[in-house]
Amino acid sequence: MSIKSIDPRITRENLSDVADQNPIKELNHWQTYEVFHQTKKGDHHIHVGSLHAPNAEMALILAKEQYARRYECVNIWVVKSSNVFTSDYDDEDIFETTPEKMYREAGGYKVMEKINKYKKERKGV
Amino acid sequence: MYGGGYIFEESKNGKSEAEDSEKLERFESKIAAGEKIEPSDWMPAEYRKQLIRMIEQHAHSEIIGALPEGTWITRAPGFRRKLALMAKVQDEVGHAQLLYSAAETLGKPREDMINDLITGKSKYSNVFNYPAVTWADTAIIAWLIDAGAIINQVANSKGSYGPYCRALERICVEESFHLKYGHDNVVFLATGTPKQRDMVQEALIRWWPPIMHFFGPSDKISVHTETLMRWKVKMASNDDMRQKFLDMYVPKIWELGLTIPDPLLKKNETTGQWEYTEPDWNEFKKVINGDGPCNKERLAVRRNAEEKGEWVRRALMRKDERYTVPFA
Amino acid sequence: MNGINDFTEIQTEAAKNLLYRLADDQLILGHRNSECTGLGPILEEDIAFSSMAQDKLGHSQALYQLLHNMGEKDPDTIAFTRKVNEYKCCHLVEYPIGEYDFSLMRHFLFDMSEAIRFNMLSSSSFEPLAKIARKFKGELKYHTMHAVTWINQLGTGSGESPFRIQKSLDVCFPLALGIFEPSKYEETLISEKIFFGEKALQEKWLEAVIPVLKNAGLVIPDIENVTAAYGGREGIHTEYLKPLIDEMTEVYKIDTGAEW
Repeated sequence: MSIKSIDPRITRENLSDVADQNPIKELNHWQTYEVFHQTKKGDHHIHVGSLHAPNAEMALILAKEQYARRYECVNIWVVKSSNVFTSDYDDEDIFETTPEKMYREAGGYKVMEKINKYKKERKGV
Repeated sequence: MYGGGYIFEESKNGKSEAEDSEKLERFESKIAAGEKIEPSDWMPAEYRKQLIRMIEQHAHSEIIGALPEGTWITRAPGFRRKLALMAKVQDEVGHAQLLYSAAETLGKPREDMINDLITGKSKYSNVFNYPAVTWADTAIIAWLIDAGAIINQVANSKGSYGPYCRALERICVEESFHLKYGHDNVVFLATGTPKQRDMVQEALIRWWPPIMHFFGPSDKISVHTETLMRWKVKMASNDDMRQKFLDMYVPKIWELGLTIPDPLLKKNETTGQWEYTEPDWNEFKKVINGDGPCNKERLAVRRNAEEKGEWVRRALMRKDERYTVPFA
Repeated sequence: MNGINDFTEIQTEAAKNLLYRLADDQLILGHRNSECTGLGPILEEDIAFSSMAQDKLGHSQALYQLLHNMGEKDPDTIAFTRKVNEYKCCHLVEYPIGEYDFSLMRHFLFDMSEAIRFNMLSSSSFEPLAKIARKFKGELKYHTMHAVTWINQLGTGSGESPFRIQKSLDVCFPLALGIFEPSKYEETLISEKIFFGEKALQEKWLEAVIPVLKNAGLVIPDIENVTAAYGGREGIHTEYLKPLIDEMTEVYKIDTGAEW
């Protein structure tokens, strides 16, 4: 028997209420892509989510609406999820470096004392 | 839009993660400290399973949730409503997309989730098994069901799983438009012509029981939910959310002079709690188990959409591709 | 440059007729395409297609608003209360959504014409229309990018896809030629530089669509042997329009005095 719905769109489909369907096969919803968007020129692109697309060109077209229809955006990148190589959260501790690295901080270089001492000595000459 | 009342699976052998108590301890202390868990972090198998189940149910609720309101998409009166309803239903589809992606990060491909939906294996929010009988039903749904969903989703967005929180943050922003749109729509009907007022009053009567069901049955703290709450998977009790909803929205319904079909509904000023007729949980169970007014139709529609789209997707499928879990 | 008040009677009539044709096309196709929302072939495309349907409705509303500024009724009244034979849309937009190949092919053929048309109109002597046309530019560009990408990929896709797309092209092509059904105002529109005319538009459209279709591996129907589906611009419609209008206006007509 076909379904008679309150929704005229559904009634038009002449749907059978008998549940028979082959399961959707693997990859039938395509591959995954990661989406990056740039809010305005000069900003970095920021990762905003992922989507399913059959290729990069389609990913771009589809990303535009899912990730930029409501938000300011001037540019989008899409990258295949499989092409993203990441560090491991198990290795999170590699980012904890020792604080004794004044040699690469601006504040690690204080020469005024030396200059003043030198100037004082010169005056004495 | 989703209101909780998740169906969590009873864990079979209790603490099966005991094999790695050190990792579990670290995992739990991270959550206790308010840190987020990311997809590649170690997590107990039970945490992964329950999260997949919950996010998947949420995603299904969005895509099925597009149907009751979609019922009136071709009949919305006037440009303003027509455009807004299209944008709202579109947002629900967008939310499904975001949530399926979030669930995928835990290792279940979208295809598997959709298969489980259309075969009836996994559930979605019960309210969407009720029909939107008139235009006014869409107004009630957009206002009150979305209001309920926001309460649940705002709570969940403070949960422990990174990708789910990120998706929910964006979803909540969009839901606030839905809520405003729904309220606007109800106000126009309630303050409009006698016909419009009757329509919205009748719709409210129809939708009140499903709204009360929306947050799920009372969840007396069991060991099971206690773990899920400690893991910040479940963020608020069903009763607390229902109380919060009543507190925020009953006065707004009453100020429009609309009648809520529950003679016992009132706020107990001493306890600060709302009192109401206990919802019919047998009806709730019956509908969840497939015997509601629209269950068959909802699943048939999803099956049909998948089936009709199959050739389109297949045409662009690449055989040399492999599936990769997304990051979002 | 002309504003609303600079026109003679015949010029006003010609401009209004043009606006009705454009707005009705967009209203009806936007409505048709909105039927796919929530039921599309894959979530991501569902969203994109819905956005474009919304754009079309937005465009029609803007054009009806311009008509309203020219003394016609307000956009809702125009869109929701006219009789079927008062609509001036072409037959292409009236057909049911059908399978996705049909919806995509229609979207491609129609939006290619829209993009060119509004590009032409952006230099119209009728400044209010030119201004609207310039505003639509970005949205229409996305619509054509979307359409061209799909047609190209389905035309060269695997399985039944190229066959389906070819079949839809064969069905849609005569209907699409109906977009360019000339009105009795062509001369006025052209001489007053309000619009360059349907004939010029059709030529440019063919120049644009044929390479895309060929590139997608499709066989172009022989234009000499195709009968364009005319009549819509004169209010003669297919059997599909009346049920569409009845459905679209069902709630609106429950209480026409009401504010919805």
